[in-house]
Amino acid sequence: MASFSPPVALFARAMPPIGTAPADPETREALALFATHVADRAVLLTDPDGAILFCNDGTERLFGYDPRHLVGCDVADLMTGDVQQARRDRHRAIRATTVRFETRCLHVGCGPFDADVTITPIPGDGGRLRAFGYSIVDISDRKAAERKLAESEAHMRSVLATVPDAMVVIDDRGRIQSFSAAAERLFGYREAELVGSNVSVLMPLDHRARHDAYISRYLRTGEQRIIGSGRIVVARRKDGSEFPMELSVGEAKSGNGRIFTGFIRDLSDQQRAELRVRELQDELIHVSRLSAMGTMASTLAHELNQPLTAIAAYLEAARRLVCQTAHDGTRVGEAMDAAGREALRAGQIVRRLRTFVARGENERQVEPLAPLIEDASRLALTGAREFGVRAFIKLDPAADDVFADRVQVQQVLVNLIRNALDAMRGAAVADLTIRTRRDGDVIRISVIDTGSGLPSAQIPRLFEAFATTKPDGLGLGLSISRTIVEAHGGRIWAEAGAVSGSIFHFTLPAARSGSGS
Amino acid sequence: MTGRRTIHLVDDDEAVRQSVAFLLSTYDVDVVTYPSGEIFLAGRADATPGCLMLDIRMPDLDGLEIQRRLADESFDWPVIFLTGHGDVRIAVEAMQNGAVDFVEKPFYGARLFEAVDCAFRHFDRTNAARRATQLLSTLSERERQVLVALVDGLSNKAIARSLGISARTVEAHRAHIMGKLHAESFADVLRIALTADKGLVSIIDHSRQLSPCR
Repeated sequence: MASFSPPVALFARAMPPIGTAPADPETREALALFATHVADRAVLLTDPDGAILFCNDGTERLFGYDPRHLVGCDVADLMTGDVQQARRDRHRAIRATTVRFETRCLHVGCGPFDADVTITPIPGDGGRLRAFGYSIVDISDRKAAERKLAESEAHMRSVLATVPDAMVVIDDRGRIQSFSAAAERLFGYREAELVGSNVSVLMPLDHRARHDAYISRYLRTGEQRIIGSGRIVVARRKDGSEFPMELSVGEAKSGNGRIFTGFIRDLSDQQRAELRVRELQDELIHVSRLSAMGTMASTLAHELNQPLTAIAAYLEAARRLVCQTAHDGTRVGEAMDAAGREALRAGQIVRRLRTFVARGENERQVEPLAPLIEDASRLALTGAREFGVRAFIKLDPAADDVFADRVQVQQVLVNLIRNALDAMRGAAVADLTIRTRRDGDVIRISVIDTGSGLPSAQIPRLFEAFATTKPDGLGLGLSISRTIVEAHGGRIWAEAGAVSGSIFHFTLPAARSGSGS
Repeated sequence: MTGRRTIHLVDDDEAVRQSVAFLLSTYDVDVVTYPSGEIFLAGRADATPGCLMLDIRMPDLDGLEIQRRLADESFDWPVIFLTGHGDVRIAVEAMQNGAVDFVEKPFYGARLFEAVDCAFRHFDRTNAARRATQLLSTLSERERQVLVALVDGLSNKAIARSLGISARTVEAHRAHIMGKLHAESFADVLRIALTADKGLVSIIDHSRQLSPCR
């Protein structure tokens, strides 16, 4: 380290033989010519102190100097200009037989460039150091490509570290190649723990076995089940807990096979929020059903009172008959039969009411439309006869089954019918018509009245919450009806009646696809 | 005060009509049922007099409206209301319009029979009053004056003096009055005089110059 001049004696001892120079003078000359004219690199010879003895044509191409002018210059001037560094490099070359390194060189016209430099000491007679051979190759293109690659990798790393969605890259055998920072947070694993492991560790135990089969099926058939489209699946954290996630998978072909990139979005919060919204909505729908029945309570009480009155009267009559010494068994039987019938009638009313106010299962299923409408209109038309309302139900035989939550659809019907009755109070003609019609894959249900009609200015706002045309209305009925209908994938709207009154329509998906006729 | 008792029941609910009729039949009451007020009003001219039992809530004509229309025609059958609602306002209105009772559905048989009995007492009273009024209307002016004085507790002599006639003539009027009123005793005469439609008011009106009004 203290001396930069190579200790020749040491060198002499250590110098290993470097190949065998051609003995034949012609071959030797050919070799010299090759070295002189080879153009893809600079080939130089320096004396032991680095002064240039010879340089070939390639030197001119690399450095822009006339080779003749370089003879005698320090080879360090072609590189960083650091003479001492150049000496240390030569020293290293002596100790290691040859040394190869990358450094910056200088083109006289174009400035610095990256080069790959190889220095080989060339022994002379008796192991004496005769010269150094330099072979210098311009590697700026390769370096630029490498830099670019490094940059893009760094970019990729920074993206991986910051994307809010967790990202997992796997190869075509399901092995994890990379695992983003968000994925680390989400799953509780460090990337280092997982790289190389099968991605199935991120899946619930019962799914693990299947994943490899999914990949191999895809590779075999090319049939895309999940690639290119998102899907909601269940994932498993390091601690064993499971959570819902939305998984989108992209595919890329790389040099050695395919890689799949999975973007993962944690749906726990979203699903919780959606669930909460659904719960609140169900609650609101239910409460509004209760409230609808609340406003009908006195009417319903009256309706129930009739059969109860009849039952009490028949039973009292029967009791009196039985107490007579010579009673007529037939008449007692008649009274009992009639009382029983009336009890069943009361039960029907209670059943309809109870079904209606029950907190439903919120289950949609295939429902025959006719009894659904029948029940709803019975309930809603309770007491309507007293106002002289005539009710008509016109069912399209092609509109038979709907796919719906029975109670919620009845709620919409009850609401529309009660509105219609309110609108017809005091009207000269009070006709209510409920009509169904099949329109392709949907069934349209219309409630038509001959009441006071709707102010046309009100029509656009009818279905908004708290929009009401009634003095004592809250304005929730129609907005909840819309919520229900839209949750069923239907539509609800109103229009003025042909002559008078108004028509409310709503649609529901037909349970069977349309036959057209 | 004798003969079959007939109730005319108007209720739009068939089960209620039939069951109440059935029950009343065990109470020795004849029941004629009507599904609406219109049908009753149309047929009542030929109906057997009796009591009227009306449901309050009915389509078209409700019970109160029927009662109102009948009142306009000075119809005097006693009216019982049936209702499913303990609506005080309706009850007050019905009673003010002269209903004899107001029965809430559903009811115990005893409660209904109580109302029926009350209504028929009313019915009988009304009939008696009508008969008494009829009988009293057969009296002559002078006989009426004598009757008022008798009811006021005046002696024959006092009556003769105040009417300026002889006591014997008063005796004769008294005998005529008993005959015209088909009375067997003077107590009968008093009962008839007091059960007449408006008591003796109509008679007193005619005899004001003789008998000082209270």
